[in-house]
Amino acid sequence: MRKRWRELRTALARGARLLVVLSLASTGPFAVPAASAAASAPYLPASDSQVLAEIPAGAAHRSAPSLAAAARRLDVALPLAQFDIARARATGDLRFLGYAEAALAPWRNRTDAPPEILVLDATILQSRHAFEASLIELDRALTARPGDAQGWLTRATVLRVLGRYEEAEMSCERLRPSADAAIASLCTESLRSLTGHLSDAYETIKLLSMQNLPAEARAWRYSELGEMSERLGDGERAGHWFREGLEAAPDDLYIRAAYADSLLRQGRAAETLRLLADYQSMEPMLLRVTIAHRQLRDGAGALAEQQLSTAFQVELMRGDAVHRREQARFLLEVDRDPPAALSAALDNWRIQREPDDILILLRAAQAAHRSGAAAPALEFLKRNGLEDARLAAYRDAG
Amino acid sequence: MLPLRRSTGRTAARIHAALAGLAAACACSAAAFAHISSNGFLSARFDDREIHGSMEISVRDAELAVGIDANHDGKITWAELRSAQPRLVGYLSDHVTFAVQGRRCDITFQPMEVNDRVDGHYAWLPFTGRCPGAIDAVEIDAVEIRYTVLEGLDPSHRGLLTLTGQGGTQTGVLGGGSPQAIYSVLAPNRWQTFQDYFEAGVRHILSGIDHLLFLLSLLLPAVLHRKSGHWEPVHEARPALIGVLKVVTAFTLAHSITLTLAALDLVRLPTRLTESIIAASIIVAALNNIFPIITESRARIAFGFGLLHGFGFASVLSDMGLPPGARLISLLSFNLGIEAGQLSVVLLVMPLIYALRNGLFYRRTVMPWGSAAIAALAFVWLVQRAAFPVG
Repeated sequence: MRKRWRELRTALARGARLLVVLSLASTGPFAVPAASAAASAPYLPASDSQVLAEIPAGAAHRSAPSLAAAARRLDVALPLAQFDIARARATGDLRFLGYAEAALAPWRNRTDAPPEILVLDATILQSRHAFEASLIELDRALTARPGDAQGWLTRATVLRVLGRYEEAEMSCERLRPSADAAIASLCTESLRSLTGHLSDAYETIKLLSMQNLPAEARAWRYSELGEMSERLGDGERAGHWFREGLEAAPDDLYIRAAYADSLLRQGRAAETLRLLADYQSMEPMLLRVTIAHRQLRDGAGALAEQQLSTAFQVELMRGDAVHRREQARFLLEVDRDPPAALSAALDNWRIQREPDDILILLRAAQAAHRSGAAAPALEFLKRNGLEDARLAAYRDAG
Repeated sequence: MLPLRRSTGRTAARIHAALAGLAAACACSAAAFAHISSNGFLSARFDDREIHGSMEISVRDAELAVGIDANHDGKITWAELRSAQPRLVGYLSDHVTFAVQGRRCDITFQPMEVNDRVDGHYAWLPFTGRCPGAIDAVEIDAVEIRYTVLEGLDPSHRGLLTLTGQGGTQTGVLGGGSPQAIYSVLAPNRWQTFQDYFEAGVRHILSGIDHLLFLLSLLLPAVLHRKSGHWEPVHEARPALIGVLKVVTAFTLAHSITLTLAALDLVRLPTRLTESIIAASIIVAALNNIFPIITESRARIAFGFGLLHGFGFASVLSDMGLPPGARLISLLSFNLGIEAGQLSVVLLVMPLIYALRNGLFYRRTVMPWGSAAIAALAFVWLVQRAAFPVG
């Protein structure tokens, strides 16, 4: 019994981290080519032995029989999808999300689709910012299995991103019977921090003991504390929590990006570059790196800017809504095109409503001299009593 | 009231430029992969009865689809890729199909090469196609394309299409829930293009209150002339008309020049700079009415600053994009739309101020206070535009 509890807690913590990590990773890491970006044309490689691709483990050809087995047997499909999602999480490689989707596809449309499948599917949809579709899958899963803690936690996360705090809080409540008390409290308190109880929630989460929980769960707590410190306007303290978080979970891309943002806001560009030195192959990190180079005015970010621009254009071409927030930031801070940034920030606002989404919208609206465009966000902010020191400069301007 | 600088969204032309840019930033190292979602690229040109094009699939996706890594060492060499070419061609033949009038086109592939894109190396396969369905028709019009690459393997894979017909280039996306679509590859309707861009030009000048205020500031004194330090009404319509004509012509000429240069991407200035100078130009023109320095050749002001206003117009046009194959006609239509909008404002304002010119109200109130109000408004814009905080 104790062991099962521990397993569940681990799974929950993993799930929580997974959601945020995936949503961050969904732009995907992104390589900096060694050579300069020359115009390319098709060519014949000089030698037969030239390596054209390195295939990561799990990305090799999937034969028809193995695909058929996954379509027939749940005990094949489920671990396969979990493996793929874990790979996506560990490497930020977006293609693995697609592979996981393929493993789930034969199952998720069945009327008796297993809840585990639906929750995984919801996780993928969430990471693609298909939030409504994700909620539909979660509701299907939770109807079939009302005690599915992972399902409730994922649901709370999705609703929180959508700014539907009351519903999110109800999902956190549904966690209590089956999840670790600290996880459930963290779920609830992190919501209270967004709805007028920032200081109070901060103190409560600070006192939450998670020493017995896995590193991912502790990292989640640290990231909440760090972000709350940011919203409280205390960059120094935020840095402390983010560093604690990275110590607990060095591969936590979400914390690393949040820490980078905090440093950039304080004008500490050189530290940002050190923080992200080994992470420049990832696109969200590359965005922060280019902004840091801009702050330093060292002219070292030109190639990265070009690559980011290309990647955002591909997303646009594909019709992906995944990284409108980052795109808006890129347009505002790197491209210096306020009208385009505002347009992207508005598109983003239609999809997600986290404090950072409000921040980029207000900044873009101000830069584009269209304060009125941010009115819905200001209204949202007032209605929920959202406290955020970063927004203070903009909220009165509207 | 603030001038609107509405971004009109991204059109196919802009996205097409994005596609072109894709190939420009190459990942030149095989080991360094960018992990963006999986994309395939299909580019096709439709001539009278033939298709010429290329299909591109990333080497990694090719491995997933047909299995290329013969020695299972996790590395795909050029030799391995080349020996898998027949299977890859077979796979692509099955998963990318063209049909005209319900009859499938025969696709013949030529030898494969390699292309570098931002997320790694791609197998690049040129092809030609013949469409039996097109034989009855005069030319290929509607082409049905079905794209199911990586079906069952990676539902997030998308085929990004660039299709060129006689009329121009269009882009498309296939895959996921919508594997097929019908594309019309006939010439786009030029009349429609003209209308669209003309309308955009009219709309822009009429909502671009800053351009109109600049022009208005230069036109206000057109019904007056300077005599021993005072404004006096002109006695006949002729000099007023000539003055207006000079100013409007100079402004038109100047902004047309820079609009064209900027729209064709020959010259580029930072938006912040041009927008700030546009605001400053209004202040100069308005203040010149109160404290006249240049009284007889306002056309020079119109021309000088008109050059900057042209860049302002161009930023709108660049948001809309110029459709390939119809760049000149759309640029011309947009410009004509701006002139038409501007002319209608002039025709509305001129008779009014001409009628008012003799009264003291015009000379003592409209001229100085109207100009002062314009200058004040423009000053607010200038501060906003020059000093907006981006950080």
